[in-house]
Amino acid sequence: MPEIRVKPKQGENGTELELIEDEGVRAWAPDADLQIVGQPHPRLEGREKVTGRARYASDVRLPGQLYARVLRSPYPHARIVSVDIGKAEQAPGVRAVIHAGNVPRIPWYEEGVLFESTVRFVGDEIAAVAAESEEQAEDALRLIEVEYEPLPFVSTIEEALAPDAPWVHDDGNIAGEPKTYERGDPDAGLRDADVTIDAAYSTASALHNAFESHGCTTFWDGDSLTLWDSTQAIFVIREQVAEKLGLPEHRVRVVKHHMGGGFGAKQIAWKHDVIASLLSRQAGRPVQLMLDREAENLAAGNRNPTRQRVRLGARRDGTLTAIVADIHQASGAYRTGGEASNVSGTYQTLYNCPNVRTEQVAVYTNTGPAVAFRAPGHVEAAFALEQAMDELARTLEMDPVKLRRQNYSEVDQLEGKPFTLPEGLRLSYDRVADAFGWGAEKPPPSSESKRRGVGFAAHDWSGGTGHPPGYAWIELNADGTADVITGTQDIGTGTRTGLAQVAAEELGLPLDCIAFRLGDTATGPYSPVSSGSATQATIGPAVRAAAAEVKAQLLEVASSVLEVGADRLSVRAGRILVDGDEERSIAVSAVTEKIRPHTLQGRGARGPNPEDKTIRTFGAQCVELEVDIETGEIDRLRIAAAHDCGRIVNPTLVDSQVVGGITQGVGFALTEERTVDPRLGLVLNANLEEYHVPTVADAPAIEHARVGVPDSEANSTGAKGIGEPPLIPTAPAIANAVYDAIGIRFREGPLSRARVVAALAEQRAQGEGSRP
Amino acid sequence: MKPFDFARPETIEDAVAMLDARPAGHANGSALLAGGTDLLTLMKADLSAPDRLIDIKRLAELDNRIEEDEEGLTIGALVTLAQLEEDPRVTALYPALAEASSLAATPQLRHMATIGGNLLQRPRCWYFRNPHVHCWLKGGDECQARQGENQRHAIFDISPCVAVHPSDPATALLALDATVRLRGAAGERELPIADFFAPPTAERCTETIIRGDELIVAVRLPAAQGWRSTYLKAMDRKVWAFALVGVAAALRVDEGRVIDARLALGGVAPIPWRAEAAERLLAGSDISAEVISHAAEAALDGAQPLAKNAYKILLAKALVRRALMALSG
Repeated sequence: MPEIRVKPKQGENGTELELIEDEGVRAWAPDADLQIVGQPHPRLEGREKVTGRARYASDVRLPGQLYARVLRSPYPHARIVSVDIGKAEQAPGVRAVIHAGNVPRIPWYEEGVLFESTVRFVGDEIAAVAAESEEQAEDALRLIEVEYEPLPFVSTIEEALAPDAPWVHDDGNIAGEPKTYERGDPDAGLRDADVTIDAAYSTASALHNAFESHGCTTFWDGDSLTLWDSTQAIFVIREQVAEKLGLPEHRVRVVKHHMGGGFGAKQIAWKHDVIASLLSRQAGRPVQLMLDREAENLAAGNRNPTRQRVRLGARRDGTLTAIVADIHQASGAYRTGGEASNVSGTYQTLYNCPNVRTEQVAVYTNTGPAVAFRAPGHVEAAFALEQAMDELARTLEMDPVKLRRQNYSEVDQLEGKPFTLPEGLRLSYDRVADAFGWGAEKPPPSSESKRRGVGFAAHDWSGGTGHPPGYAWIELNADGTADVITGTQDIGTGTRTGLAQVAAEELGLPLDCIAFRLGDTATGPYSPVSSGSATQATIGPAVRAAAAEVKAQLLEVASSVLEVGADRLSVRAGRILVDGDEERSIAVSAVTEKIRPHTLQGRGARGPNPEDKTIRTFGAQCVELEVDIETGEIDRLRIAAAHDCGRIVNPTLVDSQVVGGITQGVGFALTEERTVDPRLGLVLNANLEEYHVPTVADAPAIEHARVGVPDSEANSTGAKGIGEPPLIPTAPAIANAVYDAIGIRFREGPLSRARVVAALAEQRAQGEGSRP
Repeated sequence: MKPFDFARPETIEDAVAMLDARPAGHANGSALLAGGTDLLTLMKADLSAPDRLIDIKRLAELDNRIEEDEEGLTIGALVTLAQLEEDPRVTALYPALAEASSLAATPQLRHMATIGGNLLQRPRCWYFRNPHVHCWLKGGDECQARQGENQRHAIFDISPCVAVHPSDPATALLALDATVRLRGAAGERELPIADFFAPPTAERCTETIIRGDELIVAVRLPAAQGWRSTYLKAMDRKVWAFALVGVAAALRVDEGRVIDARLALGGVAPIPWRAEAAERLLAGSDISAEVISHAAEAALDGAQPLAKNAYKILLAKALVRRALMALSG
């Protein structure tokens, strides 16, 4: 039995207890001779996915299954006077209709309930129908008669903060306490600086638009509920749905086998999870409730828009003397508890600076609630800070990479602790500059009307560290194969494969001897949400600990079979090796068959992160592009990226995250912007026609310069996360490259064609384009 | 979606008999189904709620072929955009049409969408398409785009509606001087595409003058000897977006002198927009960068941008210059 310690800690609800579990393994040495970890193995589930056999939430078909649709508010703010479901209940195929009048007042968001008597955004849930077909459900929605009393509303941060603004909630438009932070003397730092930058930036609300839309299929067996949910957090959904419905947790089962992405929006129970469960209970039938694109883009989260005023002070040699950021972010109509958008963070930690102040104010607006979106907060902050650093470098006439090296921090300035891999960011600078050819002469533009530019941006990220606890079980079967069981989920990144590689490595078995099971609260032990780029770094060590326990037992048995001391035995590629006597090696199955029908079982727990050091992930990107000064087209993007994610368990999977993140970053930089009509409060582009995510043709040429230095102090596998980071620096690096090309600074994102053409015209009109 | 009957007539005459004479935009009666790429989106958004769909996709009399004769090219109404993009006669003689077709939508959509339906598609205006907005084009009092988010809207103010026509091929066909052949209860008629499109009015809230009892039989192109043409499209991503601005230009040049010119803009008005002032300026001129520059200015004469779309004027001028340069080179 591993040793367990109980440690008190301060939590949100006073003193909580933390279990400190010993993983029982030492970290792999950075130069350890690993066989399977580090190899570019294709995804284990790849065949299932490309042949269409992988089942997603919407693929579930149960006998008697109904289909549900939700009636949503057409008004950004209105009091519901009455809801009449009489006609809808009589409509063909309808089996259940729910609304505020016939379900319990289930608490939701901060002070609200499931079906509010005041709706606060276009898309707010009012009622729901379950019918024999989706079309019948949709038709029945139109028969629900709702009387609204429209109320004044606010759509933007500026409107919400206006002195006479209508209030989204009874206590005003400021969402929670402003978050302030200060160290040193920022005012003095600005005052004493040789050079200062003072600029206001804004970022748009981006919409997640994961391939797989939100939704679930629910089924009651007696008083036990099963949800096949599109979620990145099966245990969170279980806990929250159980709480909302007043069920004990063991009567709720959440299943998620395959995932078409979540990007942060699927880490909480949304109203549709409970609505489907209530409809299912009322109808006595399974219910599938999938959101269409419009519904999910209205009501299932978005990246919070921000306004950021950034002030930097620096000495002539580039040393930062002050960083000050005044930040506003729009939370939308409700705070979901899943927003986690710490815009301030990177201002406090990315650069060495003694004098820092940040103030972050969240405001309510009558728009859909914001929720975490791939590196929440940092993506928005990087757009501002990394352009401000570029502006500073220009002012100082200093190379932007050199400026960043000049302000390098090897310690966590919030906690005063060193980083576990303090050279992580420096390595990223080195690798990306080298791969890109930073500082080399720019090739000439491809035609007369084009201007070429290069840009640089760096980032840090508080995620990628792993967040314990998390557990894994392994059973080594009598035939020498192994089942690895966890309660984590694969958000779509290839979690099965990366974790199976850790299991295979530690067990000494070939990868095809491992069955990796995840995504079911009924069969696997607790694992946390797959957010914060955490899954590999959280569950990898737990898997390894479980495997080590099994391996110890296996070697003990092998010792009896071979009549050799276990300390002389090891296992590799499915064979037990005897130290100094190669002739005597035997297959693992030859050992396990001897004990059939016994099996060997191990349990692993993820131990705590180090106390005396801070784990962090870093990276940097270089961009080259062309801007057509006549048509405003931004083209021929070339992006090099280097990211410190510790040991690379599977290069193919890491490359995939880099390509996907950068491509999403291109969208954030150039096209992605939720558009809300300020007079109507309507989202005009809550669909994939008008909201333009990048297509394959828009994806840049990407070179991933792998860093791949194991972070052996972070956890026993040395691997950190890579899911979120590649998105963070892309947009500012693009904006910096655009400035380099045409001398125009875009402080408002995205750099849409309309903005670029208009800015070029203004530049021509002024006749003084400060061509760099 | 409202339940509807489904009919598959054997002849054009039968199909026409199922239609009624009300303007197409108001028809709650019958709607024609060919590729369905626009109709189904309209029906799903409740913008069209026909009692009956008349499937003409397999109508033997209606052509899905492209025929060439001395007078030009006849394009059957059921010819898909994918056919137009690939047909060697179109790519050789009417490149503007091939290019416009290839730049529209996606390969999947282009294999479904027919040229007849493409000309009859409704605007993509995000107010018109939003079921919560009762805009002027849908019979409401107000065009919400005028005071709203109009970055993708019209810069030529020729109708209470400021939506732009979404078709790329229509812009090209206008520059290629196409005609549209219609069949209705009263027989067949053929008219210039410039007369086929008309800005929506209060009496006729559609973008064409086709009657409710008519269907498009074919699009005809005049012989193209001596003409060169091209289509340029600005989008805010590389593919799969409607035009911010589209420019179709056709020139007949003889030893550096423009004999004849036709220039059409898309994405700037509720209908494909013919830039006649620019055409007049070009005709008879010796082609030069200066002439081209003047033509680009003339092409945007009279443009009145809304609050958020002045950029379209600059973009359109740039594309006009580029298209004319390409043809004169």
